[in-house]
Amino acid sequence: MIRAALASAVGDVLESMFFLDTLGEAGEPPAGADTVKVHLSFEGDPPGCFEMRLARRAANAIAADFLGEDAGSLTPRQSTDVTLELANMICGAVLSRIESSATFRLGAPRVVADSVADDTREPLPEEATRYTVETGSGTLTASIRMETRTCTATEKYAS
Amino acid sequence: MAYRVLITDDSPAMRSFVRRVIELSGFELSACFEAGDGAEAMDVLKKEWVDAILTDINMPGVDGEELLRRLAADELLCGIPAIVISTDATQNRIARLLALGARGYVTKPFRPETLRAELERTLGVPCD
Repeated sequence: MIRAALASAVGDVLESMFFLDTLGEAGEPPAGADTVKVHLSFEGDPPGCFEMRLARRAANAIAADFLGEDAGSLTPRQSTDVTLELANMICGAVLSRIESSATFRLGAPRVVADSVADDTREPLPEEATRYTVETGSGTLTASIRMETRTCTATEKYAS
Repeated sequence: MAYRVLITDDSPAMRSFVRRVIELSGFELSACFEAGDGAEAMDVLKKEWVDAILTDINMPGVDGEELLRRLAADELLCGIPAIVISTDATQNRIARLLALGARGYVTKPFRPETLRAELERTLGVPCD
């Protein structure tokens, strides 16, 4: 269910706000790929965190379209700003799909790796749900991890 | 008739996008002001009259909820319709913001025609 929500949210955001029809699901980029990684945490029931990894070429192309500017004239700040907003929207769209009646609050998205050399942060653990799509200018990988409630010993042995 | 609007969002990219969407959708603007948070929005409103306010909710500093409270508490400003543009599409949040005085709500992601329709509905503009 979470993976379906992730896929739907990614497609919906890219199509509605960025006027981009994706080229379908793709494999995750290799470790040395030139990507921008964004991380944001969210509070709610349950809380969790979201990461987005976007090929740099795709980030610039998407930013240019979003701002109605020529890709060559974009500043790095503009490209980053749009990438952060993209992550924010995808995460919000996923959470709204998963729990339409719950309350959640997104933290501020931030770039955690802007180059291969920067990418020392541990990726989200294996239990995170991932989805990768080909944008036409490179891949976008969205990952979400919801924290699970740990049973207390009393609850565990009572069941 | 051309309208004056205020766009409040901590993301310059989002402010630019909303402005562009409004203009491209054919909605006529005579002025478009921008603010990075609720406090800046209130500063703009001290100097300029607007017909509608479009505001994000999750902003550092004075956020969208607080902005709605301040607008509702102001004798002069409480009559200006505010439309929330937010990633949060949960029923709880929408109900809460409408109770705080928001006259409209647009969930991100949105299509340009959705934003235009919400502006027209809020401002009582006849549909084409």
